[in-house]
Amino acid sequence: MFEKRKSLSYKQEHALELLDDNEDIISLLISKGVINQNGGYIEIDETFLDFFEQILEVNEVINTAYINDNFEQVKQNILYYLQENNDGRKNSYLKAVKSTLKKIGRVTKRNIVDLKRNVENTFKTEPSFKVKLLKLENHRKKLSDIKNLIEQTEQLITEDERTFFATALDEELRIITVNLQLQLRESRHNLIETQKQIVEFINQIKSQSAFIEKLRQVKYLKDQFEIRGKSNINALLVNANALAFEKKPSYPLKLSLDELLGDKSRESIKKINGKLKTKVKPVVLVADRISAEYLELETENEIHINMDEVRNNFAASGNHLFDFIQHYQFPREVTYEERITVYCQMISMYENDLEISEKYSRHEAIEYAMVHPKSKRR
Amino acid sequence: MKVPKQTAEIFDILSKGQFICSNSSNERTRKLFDIIAEEDNFDLLHDYFTAINFILEEGNEYYYLSRLESKADLERKIETAFRWIDIVDFFKSFDTAFTSGFRFQPSDILVKLNVDAVLKDKLDGLKRWSKKDSYKESIEHIITKILCAEGFTELENEILNEYKVLSSFHYLENLISSINIPEDTQDEIPE
Repeated sequence: MFEKRKSLSYKQEHALELLDDNEDIISLLISKGVINQNGGYIEIDETFLDFFEQILEVNEVINTAYINDNFEQVKQNILYYLQENNDGRKNSYLKAVKSTLKKIGRVTKRNIVDLKRNVENTFKTEPSFKVKLLKLENHRKKLSDIKNLIEQTEQLITEDERTFFATALDEELRIITVNLQLQLRESRHNLIETQKQIVEFINQIKSQSAFIEKLRQVKYLKDQFEIRGKSNINALLVNANALAFEKKPSYPLKLSLDELLGDKSRESIKKINGKLKTKVKPVVLVADRISAEYLELETENEIHINMDEVRNNFAASGNHLFDFIQHYQFPREVTYEERITVYCQMISMYENDLEISEKYSRHEAIEYAMVHPKSKRR
Repeated sequence: MKVPKQTAEIFDILSKGQFICSNSSNERTRKLFDIIAEEDNFDLLHDYFTAINFILEEGNEYYYLSRLESKADLERKIETAFRWIDIVDFFKSFDTAFTSGFRFQPSDILVKLNVDAVLKDKLDGLKRWSKKDSYKESIEHIITKILCAEGFTELENEILNEYKVLSSFHYLENLISSINIPEDTQDEIPE
């Protein structure tokens, strides 16, 4: 039940389960005031709760008042001790002082450990920035309280009640005071460290929460379309020339043609070519059937002029070449121009068989050389 | 002037509007950061880039380039800044600790969307930039195509699909922090 002291509701049934359904024990505890009953819920009485926490040293709440109480008690007891003449009573006061001094050392240390843990827990787990900040500020206040108490206690031992510590010649008291001083010094060092941490945490939270707050305001104005008029964003951005604002530049450099012709780029070209897949499938065009007409054989007759025959006939004629060709009966119709061509062809083909004279004759617009067969004339 | 031999690589990254961050998970980028941060190198590179009209700027654990006169016009800058404000706002609502060094998975955001109506609402607002209908695609688009592409986050763990916020995120935070809202306007803004 003590374990669940933090939760607000502890049902009576749970307690019954623990006690094997023995309601008598619960009613006894309630009647003695150890447990308070509230409807179906029960809770441990505050006084006992404090007692358990003190004994088990698990208190989470840092209680500076408790140290303060002890401190006052020591002071009073010292006063009684100095005023009292009876040895027996003097000793009882001395005993009280010793036990309280021991307690102060222990409690102070305990408190510092708790404080440190609380600070860290607050920083790590508290979700709300504002509450977190307030809590940390509170811890800081507690810390300075503890610090004050330590100083006061030290002063008490070393300065204020010097008479008491000098007169009460007790070996145990001396050891206790020395121990206490050592504990206090250690505590002070711990406190300084904790204080540093608190300040650091507070600063972190402040800067973070300040940013969140700023972001919220900026976002609000932006969503209301008021930001450009109501803040300095325009001026700010005019001066912000970071490249991050610009479009991603691309540098379209042309490929080096020489490089492309090289063997190295062949692989790359092949790769890229492989990637280039158009969805359009090339349709192979099928040619039409070749029509039967084209396949039919067709003969075209051309009458060829046999030059050899012309020469042989010429050799037998005794006429000169031009005249001979003009009157020669070719196997087909031959025009005047063609006849002249044949004349020229005859001369160039059978130059050796002909005798080309220096004499010229005219026929219409053409001047031609007189040509005779060679062998016939000689 | 003897500039470090990695200058071309540095310029290659920075000239694209990217950042070189000290907490990048890419070893090469961290190395480049160390090179710029080395004594004398910053001044050398600064002078070198100034000669080609760029200014090497130093931020909190990151470097970037700016110009004397921006090529982007004011409208474009406002547009970009608005986009950043929306995005930073969204991720800060997702987790107030979302800043340099923060690690996250897109699925975390998706899970939180189901229980946080405000976050959902903000993501709907971001559709303007992501142009995606499904929440999943929208988040992915914002993370990969905006935050990662502009160098504010990077994929650190491919297996877990875990992203890391880089120190360049401070740039966005600083930009937003430096927007000054007059006090009487601040009072108009509801809590």
